[in-house]
Amino acid sequence: MRLAPLNERDTMSTVTLNGIYKKFDETEVLHNINLEIGEGEFVVMVGPSGCGKSTILRLIAGLEEVTQGEVLIDERVVNMVEPHHRNIAMVFQNYALYPHKSVRENIIFGLKRAKVAKDIIEGRLKKAAKMLELEDLLDRRPSQLSGGQRQRVAMGRVIVRDANLFLFDEPLSNLDAKLRSRMRVEIRRIHREYKTTSIYVTHDQVEAMTLGDRIVVMKDGRIEQVGTPMEIYLNPVNIFVATFIGAPAMNIIDAMLYLGFIEVEGQKIALNNRVEKIPVPASGRRVKLGIRPDFFIDEKNTEHGASLSRIENALVDIVEPLGFEREIDATIGSQHIKAKLDLRTTAGEGEKITLCFDMDRVHLFDPETGMRL
Amino acid sequence: MHKRRSFIQNIMLAGAVVLLLLFCLFPFIQILSTSLKYQFDWGNPSLIPRKINMDAYRELLGFSATKEVEIPESIKRLLDNPLLKEEQKQKILERYSSTADIFPFARYFINSFLLSAGAAAVSLVLAMFGAYSFSRLRYRGQKIMQRGVLFVYMVGGVLLLVPLYQMGVKTGLASTVWGSVLSLLLIYIIQTLPVSLYMLGNYFRTIPYSIEEAAAMDGCSRLESIYRIILPLSVPMMVTVFIYCFIIAWNEFLFASVFLRQFPDFHTLPLGLQSLFVSRNAIWDRIMSASILTLLPVVICFMFAMRHLTGNLVEGGVKE
Amino acid sequence: MRPLPCTLIRIYPLQLSLSQKESRLGLKLIAPCIGVIGILIIYPILYNIYLSFFDVRLAGENIFVGLANYERLLRESGFFSSLVTTVIYLAGSVIGTTILGLLVALVMSIKFPFRNIVRGVILLPYFAPVISVVFGWQFFFDPVNGIYNHLMVETLGIAGSRYNLIGEPRSALGIVIIFSIWKNFPISYLLIISRLQSINKDQYEAAAMDGCGPVARFFHVTLPELYFVMGTLIILRLIWNLNKFEEVFLLAPNVWTLPVFTYYTAFTGIIDQGYAAAISVVQFVVLAALIIFYVKKVLKW
Repeated sequence: MRLAPLNERDTMSTVTLNGIYKKFDETEVLHNINLEIGEGEFVVMVGPSGCGKSTILRLIAGLEEVTQGEVLIDERVVNMVEPHHRNIAMVFQNYALYPHKSVRENIIFGLKRAKVAKDIIEGRLKKAAKMLELEDLLDRRPSQLSGGQRQRVAMGRVIVRDANLFLFDEPLSNLDAKLRSRMRVEIRRIHREYKTTSIYVTHDQVEAMTLGDRIVVMKDGRIEQVGTPMEIYLNPVNIFVATFIGAPAMNIIDAMLYLGFIEVEGQKIALNNRVEKIPVPASGRRVKLGIRPDFFIDEKNTEHGASLSRIENALVDIVEPLGFEREIDATIGSQHIKAKLDLRTTAGEGEKITLCFDMDRVHLFDPETGMRL
Repeated sequence: MHKRRSFIQNIMLAGAVVLLLLFCLFPFIQILSTSLKYQFDWGNPSLIPRKINMDAYRELLGFSATKEVEIPESIKRLLDNPLLKEEQKQKILERYSSTADIFPFARYFINSFLLSAGAAAVSLVLAMFGAYSFSRLRYRGQKIMQRGVLFVYMVGGVLLLVPLYQMGVKTGLASTVWGSVLSLLLIYIIQTLPVSLYMLGNYFRTIPYSIEEAAAMDGCSRLESIYRIILPLSVPMMVTVFIYCFIIAWNEFLFASVFLRQFPDFHTLPLGLQSLFVSRNAIWDRIMSASILTLLPVVICFMFAMRHLTGNLVEGGVKE
Repeated sequence: MRPLPCTLIRIYPLQLSLSQKESRLGLKLIAPCIGVIGILIIYPILYNIYLSFFDVRLAGENIFVGLANYERLLRESGFFSSLVTTVIYLAGSVIGTTILGLLVALVMSIKFPFRNIVRGVILLPYFAPVISVVFGWQFFFDPVNGIYNHLMVETLGIAGSRYNLIGEPRSALGIVIIFSIWKNFPISYLLIISRLQSINKDQYEAAAMDGCGPVARFFHVTLPELYFVMGTLIILRLIWNLNKFEEVFLLAPNVWTLPVFTYYTAFTGIIDQGYAAAISVVQFVVLAALIIFYVKKVLKW
């Protein structure tokens, strides 16, 4: 079953997932996935290993079969459509270059299969080779290339295609840190240039935050939250999302919520309006208090100390100087707190420090469900 | 360990290696040496002929002129009898001269070559598709196929001798020349097919799935990706499998003897060699040179493919 | 599959799912192989079993005789002596091949000049056609011309007079065993050495630290790592040697292992292919038992 020749269309593809379930033998790896991806969007699916994000990608590509539910591309159900008819371009985690073909042949292979005219092929090859700095490597074999070069060939293979949907399966995970940040920039540039709908899978939340128009956070085969990077950063819907996105991870502290105030390790902190709406029994309610390390300020370094909430007498355990900032590992009572403070902080290891923060930046979570209150 | 070997250890090692080489090569040297010896030399235990005798080779390869064979006295007198007609004389003479090839090496060689190459080729093609199927595609019964290959691999030879012969007789194939040749071709195919399936199956399992998935993304259907990606990647293995099957068919004796015995013109090389041994031309130097001639193609083939063969034999499995 | 929502622009006709398409292709590709194997291996095996219950005539109809052929097996001494010969042959050749393979692997694992050439040479016995080497072996033991007799009688003075080892079935069996070892040790060697070379060097160094000399290292590091390979090898060799015909028959036709016995019964003397079929069935049963043992036990290790 062929889709209508997509090079007649100017618009990029949309992808919709309706009620997707996927089982491998008896194990269910995807549970009720519903997602809509619009034209030209760059959507990043992020989550820990085994959460099912790659599986979703492969379902969209047609490399795995859907157990239940529908995959729609451009509003057509494509469950039965074979992968080579879906006109999608994909970058594989291990690049999957054809070992016996040269770089040039690797890149234009898809175009030749689609019987695109020779001069068009040449033109696109030139453009891609220039963009990815592959011009000198065109006649080499994959075995003669470094990992980074191979990765770029895999990217080249994708961008010369006329596809309206790009899929990326953890393309940067095999590169070292420096190459990774370089390639991140490249991928952004490619998306800006070609504006193709892209679905990008990674376990690295930095890539997710920097690349995505929207992020889909997944865990154990379910979607935890979908939103723009900022939405997810500022308003995580549960503890998992809160701690997964953002580095260093958000602090999650045990606390007791009472009417009007919250108690952390014996210290009472006044509440603000936002939090007051949560139902609280008279004896108090156990909660988890979440606050990002970036939102702490050393009391000594601010004049607004009086108007901010505070945690006092945090015992500094370890100080990690990071150039512009200092990462402080402190303990309060039996719990650990991480804070990112600027260089003005002079607290050393073993000293006591008071951390100030804005109550607006605080999230309260239910200890059992992990959901935000 | 990294310490240098002591002198004594070196001597022992050298001795072991020499012993090993002698053990392996001695029969071959023996054959070669006897093939080059005159009759008076045969009892000589030394491996080096006192005088090199190329007659055997010349005769087997058809280079020598028709040989004069000793005609016994009594027959000579018979021939001198003027009452005998010319034709009758000719007939009697023929029985004692050896104008006929005693070992038509070229013909046997071609027979063996065509049969072996044909069987190896068919086996290879069938096995390519079959091995691809059970090692890379998913369907019910796939696992059974994989295990089945191993089982079938080990059954063969003598066990199938009686039933296959009976089948050949019952279908009438075994009574005609071309029927017998066809039967033998089929038998060689079935003797090499399991090992081809096994070796190719193991090899295909080492090709990552993602390469075919990339080909699918690039627009190749399954069959196209077999043709354009898998096949080119498998060429070395295919050559190895072909050569291995070829050698198995080339060396085969039992079924050739059962099916081709009555058709001397169509004998394979091993069969021809054995007929030589039981014929009245069974003299050692002829036999030995015929042995060398039968050996030579295999040795050449083997030297050509040696590197591929040993590596892949271990990964791909071995057949007896 | 849930029914398609009506909001779709098209309703697709009933189609094969992706996995169904893959199944179809898979079965199509393997069908020729299955066909060939079915006709030329599976069917003959079953046909063989069928034939073993008949008195198979070369001309005319076969006569059903029930278990008569099997009764004859048990009655006649021919079968049992063949069985004994086979067992001795198997024991000698399998053990010998495995040990020689191990020794050769040990020697070849040491680096020495020209090792690559030696590697090639030692494979020659395996690839040579049986027919082209047996005559050399026969010549070696020939009472008139052979070197063996010359050595034994004249040079070393061990034997009293010249005799033909191959002429005598008992001593011929010994020769056949040695021939089998000579011919087949390369495969054992290949399998063992590939395993040998994958043993981690660190283990040897650790053993040396613990005070093991070379011999102790062999017994405590090398041998345990090789158990699996050698076990596999022994079973495989048993299976393969059980089927061997040419290596026995062409060298010494007076050694009657089961395959040779079958051949004689089927094609020489009083031809009785029904009886031969029965012998084959027995051989097949033993073979199947070995194969099942191999598949169930060894492959799981």
